[in-house]
Amino acid sequence: MKRRVPLLICLFSGLFFGIQFFVPHHQVRQVYSNGLRWLIVVAAFTIIMAVGSLIVHHLRRVHRRTKGWGYSLVTLGTLLGMVAAGAATGIRPGSLFNKLFLNVQAPMQATMFGILAFYIASASYRAFRARSKEATLLLLAAIFLMLSAVSFIGYYFPRITTLSEWLLMVPNMAAQRGILFGVYLGTLATSIKIILGIERGWMGGGR
Amino acid sequence: MTIPDTLWTWIAALLTLAILSFLYKDNPFYKFAEHLFVGISAGYWVILEYNNSVFPNLIVPIFKEHNYWFIIPGLLGLLFFARFIPKLGFLIFIPIAFYIGGYAGLAIGPSLQARLLKQLQGSMLAPPDFADPGLLVNKLLVLTGILGTMLYFYFSKEHKGVLKAVSNIGIWFIMVGFGAAFGYTVMARASLLIGRIQFLLMDWLHLIR
Amino acid sequence: MKELLVKLGQVDRRYIFLFIAAAVVLPLLFPLNFPTRATPHTRAVFDIIDQIPPDNNPILISFDYGPSIMPECHPMAYAILRHAFARRVKVVGLTLANDAAGLAEEAFRNVAREYGREYGKDYVFLGYKAGGSAVILSIGEDLKKTFPRDFYGKPTAEIPMLAEVHNYNQIPLIIPLTGSATATFWIIYAGTRYRARVADGVTAVMAAELYPYLQTKQLSGMLAGLKGAAEYEHLVEEAGYSRGARRASRGMDALSTMHLVIIGFIILGNIGFFLSRRDAKKGESR
Repeated sequence: MKRRVPLLICLFSGLFFGIQFFVPHHQVRQVYSNGLRWLIVVAAFTIIMAVGSLIVHHLRRVHRRTKGWGYSLVTLGTLLGMVAAGAATGIRPGSLFNKLFLNVQAPMQATMFGILAFYIASASYRAFRARSKEATLLLLAAIFLMLSAVSFIGYYFPRITTLSEWLLMVPNMAAQRGILFGVYLGTLATSIKIILGIERGWMGGGR
Repeated sequence: MTIPDTLWTWIAALLTLAILSFLYKDNPFYKFAEHLFVGISAGYWVILEYNNSVFPNLIVPIFKEHNYWFIIPGLLGLLFFARFIPKLGFLIFIPIAFYIGGYAGLAIGPSLQARLLKQLQGSMLAPPDFADPGLLVNKLLVLTGILGTMLYFYFSKEHKGVLKAVSNIGIWFIMVGFGAAFGYTVMARASLLIGRIQFLLMDWLHLIR
Repeated sequence: MKELLVKLGQVDRRYIFLFIAAAVVLPLLFPLNFPTRATPHTRAVFDIIDQIPPDNNPILISFDYGPSIMPECHPMAYAILRHAFARRVKVVGLTLANDAAGLAEEAFRNVAREYGREYGKDYVFLGYKAGGSAVILSIGEDLKKTFPRDFYGKPTAEIPMLAEVHNYNQIPLIIPLTGSATATFWIIYAGTRYRARVADGVTAVMAAELYPYLQTKQLSGMLAGLKGAAEYEHLVEEAGYSRGARRASRGMDALSTMHLVIIGFIILGNIGFFLSRRDAKKGESR
């Protein structure tokens, strides 16, 4: 029962949303439209639940005085502070909530991804070796694309830009499309297996 | 610029430098900034989800518009929190089932149209292609590349003979594709760093206008 | 000389970090003003917006990027908004990314002020909605039911600009600005299902993957990364629509030098590798 009910719900919701695409009847579309709004509401709760899990995790760390538990206090404190700021001042521009987002969250998030540039440069230098013909081709394609992104090279040597566009529109596009077909067919198979209850990984179990 | 705005800029700059300090090595400033970021982001998500998703799509329909059908997704959403009650933990699978089944079903039709049929259509040779030799050669190359790529990832049969030859051609196309992806990835990561340095030099230190 | 080249193939990574930092900081402090030429895909987006009648149906911009990819997508947002507002093309904004609402609102507010555009009449910001593809599909059925209120809490049924906008049939162009699979979701769910016209503004990481959609014309145009943003800024300024700050263009100098430095390091690394390998083979043959 504990597994059968969710599997039946998965089957019916999957079948409905899958089949509705082929049914133009206006009442089906009405139910579909409301169903989409239901999905949006449920999606919102997944995020709130994820935050709940985060709070429980850090509370446990503080309670058990795990190494670095002081940092968990920082996380919990700032989480509550941000929620309080949002609840008290709203989310309008100029509110404390908005200022915290623009001046604390946004810069840190951007910087965390920005430091990847250093690591990609260091990794390219250390690991990007022309060990075989295929690796050489990959290396040459990458160098060519990077050269075409250099402003003055693209401007004064337009043939390099034309050739890089050809590389992107023909061999790259062919490879991407081949991978796209493979990904779609895999997605289709997995979606059908999930709807039919063959794939049950989402329930924490196998077949 | 008013004093409070300057103070905010300094906060943003110091936190940026705290994150950048990780390049030298892991340190307490970085750890503090990292945990601060996690807390602030989580708080931000909660408020935003409530204001923009839960309130207009759940609270308003039920309490203002009296559309009581929306109690169902509300209850489904609340079932997520059953995870925290050990004896009722299994109830979380009900909203997950609705969510996963729904999205799996939604993906089938439009993806079939956009990812398979349209892309197959784009790969085929049409009569107008034969009028332009350059276009014809490109399209034949694309067709060869697609077949080679797909056969390279076909592992149900051992790669021997013709299959091996075609999948080897596929490898060449895949290498160009990955090389292009790598080149663009370098551009993307570099752009992110440039954005941060621009902030430090322009908005914080005013060294560039 | 050979030993030097082999050693240059084994430099400590902190020196590489220093070179990268210099490659970024120096061109920003001392601009090189490298010229830019727009690619056909960027020009395609520009031409579409340039042909949309003013004071008519709005374009839809989906700000699906967060602070992590802001340097690439935020300049695109500014450039496109400047273009639209200069031509009096109306804009509807929304976001499917939960950390984008603040950035999108900031872009609207700043650019609208530059051109004297009025909220509710010239542009509307609907805010964030969780659900990804479900939201995209839902807009195709009914925009105002999907977003019953805008970002500021005002009922969308009461906003004058949205009176005649019901779904994608009244939207001549959708421009998602994103660095995730959302770029393809708009193409699949809005473009193919509802036959909406889509032109993506994506991070450079995503750009290579979208060429199949460009070839089939499921995607009408594409801005790729910081370079795409700089190209669009250049087109908008060249056409006389904007004199605003060109942040992406300024970053292109640094991007160009950084690329050259990385290419140089890759070549150095490979020279060192080949020399070491040759020495190893000579040692083996003895």
